Amino acid sequence: MSQRARLTALVGVLAALVVVAVIVAVAARPAAVRAAPSSEVEVSAGTDDCGHGWADDGRALGGTISFDVSNTTIAGVEVYLQAVDTTKVYLDLESIGAGAHAHARVALGSGRYRFVCLPADADPANGPTVRVGPAPPGTALTPGMVPVTRADLIPPAKAYGAWVGSRLPALRQQVVAVAADAEEGDLPAAKRDWLTARTTYETLGAAYGAFGAAGEAIDGLPGHGLTGFHAVESPLFSGAAAADVVGPAQQLIADVDTLLAQFPKAQIDPGDVGLRAHEIVEDAIRDVLAGAADAGSGTELATIDANLSGAAQALAPLHDLLASRYPELAATQQSIASTQQLVEGFRAADGTWTRLAALTTAQREHVDAALSETAELLAPVAAICDPRRTP
Amino acid sequence: MTGLGRRDFLTAGAGVAAGAAVAGGAGAVLAPVAASAHQAPPGVRAAAAPFHGEHQQGILTPVQRSAAFVALDVTAASRAELADLLKTITERARFLTTGGTPPDPGLTAPPRDSGVLGPTVVPDGLTVTLSAGASLFDGRYGLASAKPARLRTMDAFPDDSLRREVCDGDLLLQVCADDRDAVTHAVREIARATRGGMGVRWRQDGFVSPPRPSGTPRNLMGFKDGTSNPDVHDAALMKRLVWAQGTGREPSWTGGGSYHVVRVIRMLVEFWDRVNLHEQENMIGRRRDSGAPLTASAEHDDPHYENDPTGDVIQLDAHIRLANPRTTASADQRMLRRAYNYDGGVDANGTLDMGLVFVAFNQDLDRQFVAVQKRLAGEPLTDYVQPFGGGYYFALPGARDSSDWLGRSMLA
Repeated sequence: MSQRARLTALVGVLAALVVVAVIVAVAARPAAVRAAPSSEVEVSAGTDDCGHGWADDGRALGGTISFDVSNTTIAGVEVYLQAVDTTKVYLDLESIGAGAHAHARVALGSGRYRFVCLPADADPANGPTVRVGPAPPGTALTPGMVPVTRADLIPPAKAYGAWVGSRLPALRQQVVAVAADAEEGDLPAAKRDWLTARTTYETLGAAYGAFGAAGEAIDGLPGHGLTGFHAVESPLFSGAAAADVVGPAQQLIADVDTLLAQFPKAQIDPGDVGLRAHEIVEDAIRDVLAGAADAGSGTELATIDANLSGAAQALAPLHDLLASRYPELAATQQSIASTQQLVEGFRAADGTWTRLAALTTAQREHVDAALSETAELLAPVAAICDPRRTP
Repeated sequence: MTGLGRRDFLTAGAGVAAGAAVAGGAGAVLAPVAASAHQAPPGVRAAAAPFHGEHQQGILTPVQRSAAFVALDVTAASRAELADLLKTITERARFLTTGGTPPDPGLTAPPRDSGVLGPTVVPDGLTVTLSAGASLFDGRYGLASAKPARLRTMDAFPDDSLRREVCDGDLLLQVCADDRDAVTHAVREIARATRGGMGVRWRQDGFVSPPRPSGTPRNLMGFKDGTSNPDVHDAALMKRLVWAQGTGREPSWTGGGSYHVVRVIRMLVEFWDRVNLHEQENMIGRRRDSGAPLTASAEHDDPHYENDPTGDVIQLDAHIRLANPRTTASADQRMLRRAYNYDGGVDANGTLDMGLVFVAFNQDLDRQFVAVQKRLAGEPLTDYVQPFGGGYYFALPGARDSSDWLGRSMLA
């Protein structure tokens, strides 16, 4: 055997020993989430060297891997770790600045993977394919997902925007009815019609300033000065004269007209649809459930019921995108429905609602628990529908 | 000297006479050990408290510096959902007290962990102790026949000012750790994992002071509190005083558990601070500076009531004398205390809201805590304290292994 051949053989034996040692070490690790990996894999993320540094021989062990990804370009870059065969993405490092490092951990099962580097202003670059072996038993694998793109979200955004737009004329009719009732001095009718209009509005997903100044005028929180619905609500439910309701009711019509005029021009951003479903419920918890959205009517639970309808409406057009990406989609829909059922239990046969403050401790705890569980389930919807680039 | 931590104590104390260390309250042994611990290398942390065993952690565990007491009402709709809830609490408690790196959700969800303790969750001496309140055993979950025999809504004693909205609850989580952030993190993660299944009824946070300057930590009246605690390393004593046996009137599942009493007691500290020292010491029965009984010289000295039968030195209604007369008859009335101070800001009048979260573990609620509490009725100290919250709970038996869960035997 020549010297070179002997060296090669020696290196081969050594390499085999190292691999065995690593396999043993990995297999001996306690299951699940305990062990921290001993070292990080340094990976380059540029257009020419994307993925370099990870398994340069094309093979890697499965299980938990820590990466130290460094941007070798002179501009920002986004990095995916993608399964070659399914195009599912397991890691998305957004916005790594020029020369900057980002650390990430991912738990991979067997398959073929590669890094994809997406510079801000250039086409994506694919790294070399790495064949990854099976993960140690008990490893909590990172779920992969085919990214949702802005293009994917345009049809749902259009469908949702069309639905909101279709409700605005009804909303206008309903607020006109409130003003008419007040002008006729029929305050019981005004209260009923006010609640109808308000719950219509509360289905429209105006959470967290989605309708901008028009939304603030229609439904700004009472604590910031009474406007819109609350300016009507306050005199209407505190025994004031009908004449005191007329002015605010007419102003509300004007505010809804402003929204009507603006809305056709204001498209719903594709990036907002997933957020909307989640944030409607966050809004309900933060303001309505805290009692901060009431100016005397005690109809908080009606508002929450309408908010849940709004969340279901925002979720509906995302169904096809979510069905393959979110295992808890059915549970989420079920949670919205069962929370609505619980809340609607506080509506009497005559259409009046139990005030939030009148709930017993146990009733209140059930409402709080159901609504917060719904919010928890909706949170991944926003994460999944965060628009990402096509690799 | 603010550097004393439980972790230092444990590290340094491993080879020292640890048995004596916590006897009668952390006590005299703690200070010298702590002093030597300052030479220990920095960054050495306490090992995680073992999660599995016959008993739950957080009972005999040496007291950690920070705590949260979180009473919960269960909103689960069925017995099966209650079981799921208890499994989830167990799984979270096991992970948080053991530590580790939370799994990565990839692109599919927000992070699994709040990150308050960094990318990898450190144990930080965390213990999570789960106890059941009497209301859990009402008709909702078919548990009426499983109720621990002495468990009930907390008694209102004559000197109490109970606000029932901050009393009782279906469950109690006692969460303790070396540092406040680990307590906050654990409460937050458990709440997140159990949404839909339960809601917080009341919560009270607490802290344990370091020895000032030595011996048992002080309460907010300025007195050492817990000096005469039974020795947690005396297994036979713990068997007599702490652990329910699951015999007699008690359902068999209760064996290995313990009656867990929490009393949130406001101290009227402005008033207390306007009281002469000798009057304070007479009410307590100990010296404020050293913690020594008035009849003796050092904190852990025996008060020898037999030499002071008419209360000339330690008056007959002094707190320590009523609480523990040290007679043969009162020996089995002793309980294991694990109290925390609380500092809750101010009330509507601008008066300081602070006091004690009294915590005691009992084999028999009536024989121990209730008997002692009845004897304390009308003691002079009652003018300076207002018990207002808390409850009676039953600390569940421990989870035996990684497939077991807290409450399994209760629901069996």
